Amino acid sequence: MNSETTLETVTASTVKPMPTTKGMRHATAGTVVRVAVMVLIGIMLMYPLAGLLLAPTRTESSMMHGGLAIGTWANVQYAWRQIMGFDSGIFVVWMKNTVVMVVGGAILAIILSVPSGYAMARLQFRGRSWLIFATLLFMVMPNTVLVIPLFLEVATVHMLDSFWPIIVIYGFYPFGVYLAFIHFKTALPMELVEAGRMDGLSEIGIFFRVAVPLARQAVALVGFFGFVAGWTNFFLPYVLLPQTQSSPVAVGLLQMISSSQLVNPELGLNVQLYMPELALAAIVAMIPVMVIFIAAQRYLQRGAMMGAVKG
Amino acid sequence: MAASVIAGSPRVPKRKRALTHSAPAVVLVGPFLLVLVVAGALPAVYALVESLISSTTGGFAGLSNYLTVITNFRFLPSFGDVGLLLLVWLPIMVVGVVGLALLVDASRGRFGKTMLFVYYIPAALAGITNFMLWLLILDPNVSPIAFFWKALGQTSIDGLLSSPINVIWILAAMLFYEGSGSWLLIVLGGLHSISDEVIEAAEIDGCNQWRLAWRIKLPMIAPWIGYLVLMNFAYGFQIFLEPQLLAAAAQGILSPQWSPNQLSYTYAYSVGNTGAAAALSVILLIITLGLGVLIVTKTGLLERS
Repeated sequence: MNSETTLETVTASTVKPMPTTKGMRHATAGTVVRVAVMVLIGIMLMYPLAGLLLAPTRTESSMMHGGLAIGTWANVQYAWRQIMGFDSGIFVVWMKNTVVMVVGGAILAIILSVPSGYAMARLQFRGRSWLIFATLLFMVMPNTVLVIPLFLEVATVHMLDSFWPIIVIYGFYPFGVYLAFIHFKTALPMELVEAGRMDGLSEIGIFFRVAVPLARQAVALVGFFGFVAGWTNFFLPYVLLPQTQSSPVAVGLLQMISSSQLVNPELGLNVQLYMPELALAAIVAMIPVMVIFIAAQRYLQRGAMMGAVKG
Repeated sequence: MAASVIAGSPRVPKRKRALTHSAPAVVLVGPFLLVLVVAGALPAVYALVESLISSTTGGFAGLSNYLTVITNFRFLPSFGDVGLLLLVWLPIMVVGVVGLALLVDASRGRFGKTMLFVYYIPAALAGITNFMLWLLILDPNVSPIAFFWKALGQTSIDGLLSSPINVIWILAAMLFYEGSGSWLLIVLGGLHSISDEVIEAAEIDGCNQWRLAWRIKLPMIAPWIGYLVLMNFAYGFQIFLEPQLLAAAAQGILSPQWSPNQLSYTYAYSVGNTGAAAALSVILLIITLGLGVLIVTKTGLLERS
């Protein structure tokens, strides 16, 4: 309070014009430097990416001197034929596998996260604070730490190479619970819940009739982040799905890279896999994430503050 | 909370409420709790049990699995490697992310928004695509920055990765490239929480942009920076994907047991010593759990909830 009044007095007094002009002169010199630095960093980050995106349009030999250049569409088509020729088109199998396990995992994550996030935010029950603590703890621990223990568990029940353990593990998404928790805590008016209670709805009834219809934002965010987390996960499927036929595209691509002439020239493949081909495969592997990213833009912007808790 | 204050007698209704909610809570929370146990708690407990069992005899092994792991010739070096990486990468990450956040925060309007989008793009290509990008960058023959490698006298990716200190720098660059975008958003969230009055007051007091960033904004986002440091420490410590991929790209050059997690993977897969794999997992789990508790209780994450 006190500082605010001082602030207003100062603003109202004659001191104001002077620092502003002084500030502006400083700002113009400072602004030029700031803008220049920011643009330079932007170029440094984008330059190699441009190299990756342009690589499929070029040929291996034309890339031999480095730098950037745009090639031809015919080269892209050639590169795509090489990818499809690898191990009788297993690339498509990998993409399908990824869709099945990641979409399954994201749907399960929504089904599990939304009700539990609601209960933690809006209901009083014993062990609530412990559950919140455990959820946050699992949320901040890097998921790589549990991969080997999960492998031991899944191997014991003889379910390696099955998609089900993967889907269940992707469905266990504490960050999703946290997102739903924050959503119901901040975006669901308590009056609506009270009105539901007045109308004689049960707590479960309130969840389904009042909370779920207003949970679109939370569902979209959990679905988006769950999808991206699953699609880009490498370590877990790498360990739980040892067979090439059941690999998701992230793991499959590593295999493609390792057996390519680029890394392993002695192997003698039926197709030519060099930088342009492998770059194209890596770009195609990310297209679903980009599509989902654009589709979820609307929800992401609104939930930027919520989503900003974890990448 | 407000309702109970108004009601005047918070105790009795609260206890009643707790009783009435426990049945619906079980229904709503139950499925998640089940999965938390199956995919979170159980594997951890199972690893602990396995770590005390001998892989060869199947009997109680005491701490012998732990001894096996600790005396492995890669155990200490793998922690040393990761420690060195953290020493190089964490300062770059913190200074880089906080610096970018302050720059973006100082740029209001369309320019700031555009640059934020540009800085975020690398984070959107996580995992294998990012790795493919680095394979391109690191190959001195075809790299977009071939001129840079030439200036350093590098001619092949194998040569580049055969120097341990190069590996550290390269991993640090990879981690910064893929991680900075998401963390930029988080730190910006912290900067946006500073009230406009504070900024205006400082500007009126004659603070220029530089002093404003250094003296006002930086101290006020200290909790976010703490979160950034601890979370990335935990992540870097657990690193698996990046060194594993580099080892695959430069076969025979880089040790496939570069990080502790890779060593754990080798025990589980190549060696088939589940006891030792479990023991190493337990060691990593305990350290990570400690860090996790620190993050949840000390960075204000719990209060914000």
